[in-house]
Amino acid sequence: MKYSVAVATTALAFTGLLLINAQDKVPGANAPASKHWIEPGADLVLAKEMSYSDSTGRLGVINAQGSIATKGHPFFETIGSNARACVSCHQPANSMSLSTETIEERWKATGGKDPVFLAIDGSDNPALPQDLESSHSLLIKRGLFRVGLPWPPAANANPEFTIEVVTDPSGVNRDPQWGLKSAHPAISVFRRPRSAANLKYVLAPDETGFNVKRGTLLDRDPDTGLPESMNLMADARAGTLRIQAESAYHDHQAGKKGLTKEQIAQITGYESQVYSAQLWDTEGGELVLPGGPTGLGPVAVSGEPGTLLSNSASNPVFRSFEMWNSEGATAFQRSVARGADIFNKRSFWVRNVAHFTSIGTGNPAKRTCSTCHNTILAGNDHAPGWMDLGTTNYPTWTEPKVGEQGSVLPVFRLTCRSDARPHPYLGRVIYTSDPGRALITGQCADIGAITAQQLRGLAARAPYFANGSAKNLMEVVDYYDRRFDIRLSAQEKQDLVNFLRVL
Amino acid sequence: MRALLWSAIAWLLVTQLVAQSPPQSLPTDRRNFVACPILRDTRTNPCWLAQYKGETYFLGSLGGVSDNFHPPQLEHEVLVEGTVATGPRVCGGIRLNPVKLSVLGEIAPACNAVLPSEDGIDAPAPQPRGKPDSWVKTDEPGSLTIFFEFGDDFMSVPAGNALKDLVKHFTSSGATRIEVEAFRGATLLSDGNVLTEHALLAQERLAKVLVILKGLGLPERVINARTSEAVPKPDGVNDQRSRRVVLKVQQ
Repeated sequence: MKYSVAVATTALAFTGLLLINAQDKVPGANAPASKHWIEPGADLVLAKEMSYSDSTGRLGVINAQGSIATKGHPFFETIGSNARACVSCHQPANSMSLSTETIEERWKATGGKDPVFLAIDGSDNPALPQDLESSHSLLIKRGLFRVGLPWPPAANANPEFTIEVVTDPSGVNRDPQWGLKSAHPAISVFRRPRSAANLKYVLAPDETGFNVKRGTLLDRDPDTGLPESMNLMADARAGTLRIQAESAYHDHQAGKKGLTKEQIAQITGYESQVYSAQLWDTEGGELVLPGGPTGLGPVAVSGEPGTLLSNSASNPVFRSFEMWNSEGATAFQRSVARGADIFNKRSFWVRNVAHFTSIGTGNPAKRTCSTCHNTILAGNDHAPGWMDLGTTNYPTWTEPKVGEQGSVLPVFRLTCRSDARPHPYLGRVIYTSDPGRALITGQCADIGAITAQQLRGLAARAPYFANGSAKNLMEVVDYYDRRFDIRLSAQEKQDLVNFLRVL
Repeated sequence: MRALLWSAIAWLLVTQLVAQSPPQSLPTDRRNFVACPILRDTRTNPCWLAQYKGETYFLGSLGGVSDNFHPPQLEHEVLVEGTVATGPRVCGGIRLNPVKLSVLGEIAPACNAVLPSEDGIDAPAPQPRGKPDSWVKTDEPGSLTIFFEFGDDFMSVPAGNALKDLVKHFTSSGATRIEVEAFRGATLLSDGNVLTEHALLAQERLAKVLVILKGLGLPERVINARTSEAVPKPDGVNDQRSRRVVLKVQQ
C-alpha cells in the first residue's frame, strides 16, 4: 500500500498555508509523528516535500532529488541479518533521528516487538530479559542506544588511561559476555541517534584541512583522500557516510555479507539529499513567510550557502530575525527574534571546555552560543566539533550529583598515566558516564569530548544532548545557564527556547 | 589538595628545575616567571594579568586559535616570557611586549582569580590580526621555523598554514629533499632558575610535523628528519625560540 500522506504534496511548495491546507486534506496528516512510522521494508513513495506534526508544530522534510520509493531501497529495507533497517533509527518524521515520543509509541504499539528494541543495542543490556519494558528503559525514557566499543581502542593499543567500572545500573559493563572483562573487552556507553538530515553542513570540512582541536591535519576520507569534517558522529569514529553505513550495517543490523557498492551509493545518496527544518509552529503559525526570516524552513536549508562559517554581526548562523523585532510582529515572533539575539550576541564566560578553551581562546573565553554553533543554516561546529562541554564528566555532568539519587547511566573512573598530558581541566582521575572521543583515541585530553550537534528540526527529535538527558529545550537552556552561569531571566530562557524550536 | 599534589609530582617529572650557580642575570627589562594568570573582566573584552614580585603585568586581551596571542587558562599556571614595554599601564598592569605565554599542562585549581569590571579600567581596543611571529618564522621561501609553547607539541593554526605553504613550495620548486630538525629548549627565569623541557619533547614535535608533511603529500623518502638532543644554554631572552622545529627545502 502506498503512503498517501507522503505522495500528496509532491507538487506543492513549502511556502505557506497552501501546503498546510493541502496536507490537512490527507488522512492522518495532523497525527503525531509516531503515526508516520516507516516500517523496514515498507512499500511507500516519499514525496519530494513532506511535513509531519511534531511537539510544537510541523516539521518539513525535503528530498532534494525528488520522490523516493522505499521498496528495495537499502536505507529502508532489512539488509542485515536482523529485522532492522537504517530507517529504524532515522525516521523522516523525527528529523531523521528518533524521539522518545515515537519510541514509547512503538513499544505500546508492538509490545516491544519492534526491531528497534532488539537486544543488541536497543536494550540496556542484551543479557536482561528482553520482553520486559524495564530492560529497554534507556531507549524508551531517554532515546539511548547502546554503543559497545572495544577496549583498548582499535586505533590505540596503548591508551593513556585505565578504565574501571564504578557503577553499572544495567549490568552490561560488568557482564561476562558484554563487559569490560569479557573475552572481547568492551565499554558500553549510551547515545542518541544523530539526525541524518542536512548532512552537507555536517560533512563539510574546515576549508584549511587543519584540525584545530589537536593541532594536526583533519582525518582523510580513505576513498577520496579529501579531508573529513570529523563531525558526523558523537565520537568522530566514522568520518564518512560510507564508513558510517558499513559500521551501522554490522553493528545495528548484524550484517554479515557486507554492503554492495550499489547499496552504499543508494544509502549515502539518500542521506546526502534529505533536508529537514521546522515549517509551522503552534504558537507562531507559518514560519516561512514573504518578508520573514530567510533562514527558516527546509527550502532555506537545502539551498547552497555562500559560506559555511557564520559571523554573528554580518552573517548570523540562521540569518537575520530583525524583521520580527518590530511592532508589526506577533508576540511569539518577537520572542523568537529576542532569542536569536541572545543566541548570536549574548556573551558569557565559556569555562573549562576542553578542546575549546584549551586550544588558544583562553580559559574562560567570553563568547556566545553561536561561537560553537557556528555553521551557517545548521548550527553545528564547523571546526571538528568535539569538545568536553561537561555533560558526561563529573562534576558538571547532567546526571544526579548525589549518590543516593543514582544515575541510570554507567559511571567509569579513568586514570591517566603520569607520562600522559592530562585532561586540561579535570586532571588525571576523571569520573564520567561517557568518555566520548577518548574511547576512540585513548587520549586523556579527549575524555568527555562529544561532537556538537546541528540545531535543525529540534522540535521533532527530543530528548537532547548525546545522552538524552534534556527532556525538552528548556532543560537544554537550563543546563547551559547553570554550566556557564549565564544568568538568563525566565523570559530570556523562553525566548531562546522559542528560537530553537522554530529552527 | 590531591590535585595539587599530583600537579607537583607531575611537574617534577616533566621538567627539571635547576638552580644555576652562580645565577645568571637577565636584562633589567626582561620578565620570565611562572604564575597564576588573573582574568580581569571589563565592559568589553577580558584582560589577562599576572603578578610577579608584587608587580602586576598585562599579558594580553583577546586571542583565538589563529592568532599570534593565545591567552592563558585559569586552572593552569602560565610561563610568562616577556619584555617590559614603555607606555602607560593597561588594565592596571605593566605591559609586556613582546610576550610569549605557555600554559603549563598540569592543572592548578588554585589559579582561579577573576576580577570584576571596574570603572576606569578598560581593555585595549582590538588590534588587526598581526603576523603570527610567535608561532612561525619564514625568512625566505623554502625555509620555515615553527615555535611551540613550553612543554608542548601542540601545533598552532599559523604553523599548520605555514607547513602547507612550505609543501606547496616544495612541489612547485621541483625540490628533491626537505630537512627537518626538532629541538627542545630551556628557559632562564628571572629568579635564576631554569626550566628544561622533558627529554622526549623534540621527538614528539618531530613526529607531529612528520605526520602533517606526509598528510600533505610528501613521500617519506624525501624527508630527512632528525632531533637535536642537546638543550641550548638559556639566556632568558631568546629562550622561546629554542622550542622549535626547523624545516629547510633543498633543491
